[in-house]
Amino acid sequence: MLTVLLVDDDAEFTDVACTIIEFLGHEVLTAANLAEAKEWLSKETFDHILLDFMLPDGSGLHLLESLPAGKQPRVTLITGHPSVKGIIKDMCGSNVDYLVKPIQREDLESVFSQKKTASSKKAQPAITKHFGQLIGESAPMQELYKLVSRVSRTKANVMLLGESGVGKEVVAAAIHAASECEGPYVATNCGAFSKELIGSELFGHEKGAFTGAVGRKEGVFEQAENGTLFLDEITEMPIDMQPNLLRVLENKVVIRVGGTKAMPVNCRVVSATNRSMQEIAESKVLREDIYFRLAVFPITIPPLRERKEDIPLLAEYFINQLNAENDTRFKWQPEQLEKLKTYDWPGNVRELRHFVHRAAIMSDPDSESIELPKTIESPFAKKQTLSTGLKAGRTIEEVEKELIYATLEKVDGNKTTAAEMLGISTKTLYNRLHAYGDLSNDSE
Amino acid sequence: MDQQQFAQLQLAVHEARRPLNRITMQAELIKLALEGAVPKEKALNALDKIIAGSKDCSDSLSELVAQFNPDQNGHAE
Repeated sequence: MLTVLLVDDDAEFTDVACTIIEFLGHEVLTAANLAEAKEWLSKETFDHILLDFMLPDGSGLHLLESLPAGKQPRVTLITGHPSVKGIIKDMCGSNVDYLVKPIQREDLESVFSQKKTASSKKAQPAITKHFGQLIGESAPMQELYKLVSRVSRTKANVMLLGESGVGKEVVAAAIHAASECEGPYVATNCGAFSKELIGSELFGHEKGAFTGAVGRKEGVFEQAENGTLFLDEITEMPIDMQPNLLRVLENKVVIRVGGTKAMPVNCRVVSATNRSMQEIAESKVLREDIYFRLAVFPITIPPLRERKEDIPLLAEYFINQLNAENDTRFKWQPEQLEKLKTYDWPGNVRELRHFVHRAAIMSDPDSESIELPKTIESPFAKKQTLSTGLKAGRTIEEVEKELIYATLEKVDGNKTTAAEMLGISTKTLYNRLHAYGDLSNDSE
Repeated sequence: MDQQQFAQLQLAVHEARRPLNRITMQAELIKLALEGAVPKEKALNALDKIIAGSKDCSDSLSELVAQFNPDQNGHAE
């Protein structure tokens, strides 16, 4: 809680501002002019002063001269002129900032939280969010930032490729933020709509276009005017709807379902898929002409296992977020962060975030220590292994070999335990490994 | 517009911003009331003040127009 002095001659403003400041958990006293403010300063100690620039008995800046020596309160000047910023910067130190009228609750929250942020920054290094979205300082992420920065200066459509959970939507939001475009960021999932509804979602519909179309609806292309449209799971879009999308991408006009009027649209399309380029080409889930329209600039987002040095940074960020949400003070131990780095995270950043959340729930909220489960594994990881291991067209020998090696890896190469898990004798396991030509003499 | 006129305009805009500042803060108070953080009567009071503030703002803008009306005082020549 801070003790705040609010100096402003507008009684209505001070009255309502006091209610809001008190709601934010701070104590507040008011002064209507410089003389009253000076009197308060001689009697009380304040953490923060909100000071109107123009007061009946002089400029608010005069009060700065009357501030007590020693631990000075933080000062926020309230002004109606953004141009005052420059004057403040020149005349006052870093302890003084400003707010421009009209003021909102978030503005007040932000000026009061600055002090806390400054002191907490000393305790832990700040985590940089690149483009306000992305966390990571590894070489693959630096490369990604370079690509985002380059493409944001153009209007090119971008296709994001990457495994599930790598943060494709976050990268799309980063491209939007870096583009500094006027329009909004609109996201939709092409896999989430039935064949009948996807046309309406993308292009909108007119009233009465189909049963249930009780009113006119703007499609996402129209909503994202002058902004960014993120089409997630683009490869899950029904193939017979793709020519309609192609027409919009080529002609930059959209016709609502049930409508006749062509409306111009202007937005960058960022699409995403968790399939590889090769898979897209082979499986024919996306028409070639659409692919080239959407993937003018393809960006592959690295999986977390290829940027393991970012794991501590991400884990730190997630636990800080949970601490702020739940008023806890969990801290990672260096050996815990090392343990997180040893796991491959097949579910990528999403899996890591869920893991940290689960660990925070399991831990004592009154303690700083985080309780980690003995092993890190997720049903997601198992599902992935199974889905790649059991594709039709593979021989039983191939699958058997893969299972044997996966089991050995799981038990750190202990053949007795591996044999037990596989339900075969140790002798059979050795025989198999011999047959694969992968058993040295000393292991026998 | 000369330097003096610009200074007058700045002052007039400053005056018009005062009610806008009140309106914004009253709107924030209504949000708090809707969240249940302050009594609902405060929200009703705030709505009245928003209406009054809007009228004040409108008056300030009318004054501004009058001040720069060439037919009335020959400011803009």
